[in-house]
Amino acid sequence: MPERPEGILDWLEQAGRRPEGGLRFVDRTETATWFGWAEIRERARAACGGMQALGIERGARVALIFPTGIDFFVAFFGALLAGAVPVPLYPPARLGRREEYVRRTAQLLERSGARLILSESRLCRILGDALQETHLALGCRTLEDLPVESPRTILAAPSDLALVQFSSGTTGDPKPVALSHRAVAAQAEILAGFWPDSPEQRQSCVSWLPLYHDMGLIGCVFPALARDATLTLFAPELFVACPALWLRTLSRYRATISPAPNFAYNLCLNRVSDKDMEGVDLSGWQTALNGAESISPGVLQAFCERFAAWGFRPEAMTPVYGLSEAALAVTFSDLARPYRVTHFDREKLAREGRARASVNGREIVSVGRPVPGFRLRIVGPEGCDLPAGDVGQVWIQGPSLMEGYLGDPEATANVLRDGWLDTGDLGFQYAGELYLAGRAKDAVILRGRNHAPEEIERAVEEVPGLRTSSAVAVSWLPEDAPGEELALFVEASRQAAPEELAALPDACREAVLGATGLAVDRLEVLAPGTLPRTSSGKLRRGETLRLYLAGELAGLESAASLRLSGVLA
Amino acid sequence: MILAGIAEVARAHLGWDGVVTPDLRLIEDLRLDSIRLLTLAAEVENRFRVLLDEGDEAGIETVGDLVAVVRGKLDA
Repeated sequence: MPERPEGILDWLEQAGRRPEGGLRFVDRTETATWFGWAEIRERARAACGGMQALGIERGARVALIFPTGIDFFVAFFGALLAGAVPVPLYPPARLGRREEYVRRTAQLLERSGARLILSESRLCRILGDALQETHLALGCRTLEDLPVESPRTILAAPSDLALVQFSSGTTGDPKPVALSHRAVAAQAEILAGFWPDSPEQRQSCVSWLPLYHDMGLIGCVFPALARDATLTLFAPELFVACPALWLRTLSRYRATISPAPNFAYNLCLNRVSDKDMEGVDLSGWQTALNGAESISPGVLQAFCERFAAWGFRPEAMTPVYGLSEAALAVTFSDLARPYRVTHFDREKLAREGRARASVNGREIVSVGRPVPGFRLRIVGPEGCDLPAGDVGQVWIQGPSLMEGYLGDPEATANVLRDGWLDTGDLGFQYAGELYLAGRAKDAVILRGRNHAPEEIERAVEEVPGLRTSSAVAVSWLPEDAPGEELALFVEASRQAAPEELAALPDACREAVLGATGLAVDRLEVLAPGTLPRTSSGKLRRGETLRLYLAGELAGLESAASLRLSGVLA
Repeated sequence: MILAGIAEVARAHLGWDGVVTPDLRLIEDLRLDSIRLLTLAAEVENRFRVLLDEGDEAGIETVGDLVAVVRGKLDA
């Protein structure tokens, strides 16, 4: 009989042998609370018994809505021990629109098919109404509300689902990405393999990334568990409020690894003062992973220059590429050398889709080579492999690909073919490394988070003076910008009154802010019939962006107001 | 006093250079996206040494609402 591969539950069973293995939570006063893996396991067992007493069985989905803290992990591992499938969802944003949050959460719950939500009592109250519309048989409960009963051991098979995380997919509303135990374990092992412990050094990681995000959960938590190591965590809202907390925490605990999206490095540049950095030493930070969104070469350079004074080394900066559908990482830059930026001829890249090095060309950051076990292809429009230097769709194959989008075989078949995943990203290979060059899929990616363009477009549907179903939302990384920008293109209605037209740009921005919490960086009001459509009348988002960048999309009124995206004042 | 403090936070941390009045709505008028709303909440907490929780934040739509919640916390 073949040996069953090790998975999260085996690691949980074995963890806690080293006295230093566990989770450390840092709060706003920079005070730490520590929980060993053995204690986490015992508390998770109790939660498992409680869920089983409620009727949660193997394969049942359990939604988890918690801020960063011990309760998330008790619920997460408790669900896994019960053979159930955790579905981490995001808690409400501070001062955000409550009704929008509830509406969107209800949608995600519906799509995940969750039977139970585990959360905090204050969130259970907020979510009360959302539950009416979903199939949540067991309602919303806190860990304290769970019945007390001894757990029964359920041994998950490697092919059982271990996790559902949401992604924008290639088109349409957010999609539940279903990952098996095998896939999640394979990804965690790949990552853990990059940082072997030595007698001189135990690797450790600091993360403020959300636990409903693959880079936070799969990238940080599982490798720490697999290695019985300590992981230091704090909440994403604390990072945004005080970015210096990230650098200070790294320094205080002598952490060697910490990942974040491009926007976070930019936020440090803009919001961390020299005074905040007093006593901070970043020389122990060996790997500053940078992924989950487009990477700005300017931000990388500025970060390395600014923080060199506190010991930050350019070799530490490590651009990477991955996506939820692959559990997480697909390519890594070389850990031992500084990140690589190459200049490419602008015209050839934009017009011919060919990458040719050119001294004064556009700078693009290399995201490196496939991680062990992964392969990639660059595929042309006819489905054939393209030669190095040609821009095409990035297809990947590896041991941690998703099983599919939960309950959506059609969307799954669109991206998973013969064991290969069409990422929907555009890219090319140059000198053996992958460079990204935009997206073929319709996804808006801002601050490391994917948004379905439909959610943004739907927000302006009711704005007076707009033509029905004639809005396109896209994001991309403009040259020299510190991050991706969000552009919204709308067509005015033929019947729009002059005062409605005048109010349109503001009304659209307000509608998008209110519904999604996103600020529109560029807004273009177009004449009716201007947006490119397919023969069946569907809007073509990628083509809209191409026309706009080529200067071929005539605005009714150019309302472009360029804001420094991601920059707070 | 509280209004002036919030105006100072808006100037220093949110890039707002206009006058801050109680009737201004945080999202529509001050144009705060989710990251700026979070910054506002955190900076107001720092400045007035109060803690806002989910319940406090539920009904806040305008600057005036925020002033009232902070005042309630300070008086308590």
